[in-house]
Amino acid sequence: MERNHLQRRAAYMRETLFDQGYLDEQFIQLEDLQDDANPNFVEEVVKLFYTDSARFIRNIELALDNSTHHDFEKLDDIMHQFKGSSSSIGAEKVKRECTQFQEYCKAGNLEGCKRTFQQVKQENATLKRKLESYFQLKRQAS
Amino acid sequence: MELNSEADEDTKKEQEQKEEEKEKQHFHVLAVDDSNIDRKLLERLLTVSSYQVTCVDSGDKALEYLGLLDIQESEISRTSSISSCSSSSSKSSEKEVSKVNLIMTDYSMPGITGYDLLKRVKRSSWKDVPVVVMSSENIPSRITMCLEGGAEEFLLKPVKLADMRKLHSHLLNTTNIHDTIIDSDHNNNTNKRKASSPEDSDRRTRIQELPVS
Repeated sequence: MERNHLQRRAAYMRETLFDQGYLDEQFIQLEDLQDDANPNFVEEVVKLFYTDSARFIRNIELALDNSTHHDFEKLDDIMHQFKGSSSSIGAEKVKRECTQFQEYCKAGNLEGCKRTFQQVKQENATLKRKLESYFQLKRQAS
Repeated sequence: MELNSEADEDTKKEQEQKEEEKEKQHFHVLAVDDSNIDRKLLERLLTVSSYQVTCVDSGDKALEYLGLLDIQESEISRTSSISSCSSSSSKSSEKEVSKVNLIMTDYSMPGITGYDLLKRVKRSSWKDVPVVVMSSENIPSRITMCLEGGAEEFLLKPVKLADMRKLHSHLLNTTNIHDTIIDSDHNNNTNKRKASSPEDSDRRTRIQELPVS
C-alpha cells in the first residue's frame, strides 16, 4: 500500500514538473531510452548535467567578474554550451534563461547579462532540487 | 482463411524486423561531440537502435581514429587517448579501424568544427562514408553549407529516437544492398540513391526540407 502511494506521489510530481514548465518533451525522450538493462539512464544524464552546469556557472562567474574587460563572445560561447546541455535533458526554464543571457551578450549589455545570470543560477538550482526529490521518491517507491 | 493470413502477415513483419536488426548490428557509427551529455545520449540512441558505437570528443580525435591525422598532428594526439563510450571491442587507439559505416558529428566544437571534419573526410579514403552533421542551431545557411559540403543529413539537436530511423536508409545505400529504397514511412521526397559524389545535383532536393523562417 505504501509503495502504491509513493508511486502515485512520484507520478504526480513528475506531471507537475511538466505542467509548470520545468521540463519539456526532451525529458520524455530520455525516459524512453531507459529500460530494465539501463534503469538509471535518466538519472545518470541528469547527474552529468549538474556536473557540467556547475562548471559552466563557475566559468561565467569568472568571466563576469573580470572588471577590466568583458568578453561577450566568450560569455556567449559558454552559455551556448550550457544551453545545449539544458536542451538535451529537457530543462525548459533553464534553457530559456540561457537564451535570454545570450541575447544580452549579443547586445553587449553587461547589466542584463548579470541580471539574467542570477536567473540562470536560480532556475538551475530549483530544477536540481526538484529532480533530486523526484528521483529519491522513485527510489523509495520501487 | 482470414485469421491465417493475419498470422502470416505478423510473422512476415517479425522476420523483416529481425533481418533489419541483424543488418544494423553490422553497422558501426563514429559519433563526434564535445559535450559529454550529448555523447551519452547519442551512444544510447544508437545502441537502442542496434548500431555499434564509438564516441570521440573532438574532430581531431575523429581524424586520429580514422587514421587521417598527419605525423605532426598524431604526435600531439598521442598523449590523450580515445575517450568515453564504445560498444565495440576495439578500445585500443593503436588498432586499425576496420570499418566505419556512418559518422555523426556535432557542428560547433572547439578545434576543428564538424564542417571541417566533414570536408576532411570527403577528401579522404573515407569519402564514401555518410556523414551526418548535428547542431542545436537552426541556421539555414549552415544547413545548406553542410549539405553542399557532402553531408547526407543535417539533424537539429537534441537528437531524438525518430531521427535514428533516417540514418538506416543512408547506411543501406552505402552498402548497396538495395539499389533504390522506397521507404513507405516517408511521405516527403527524401532522395535515396547509391553513394555518390557530393556534387550530385540530387542533393539540391534536400533544400526543400529546410525550415523556412
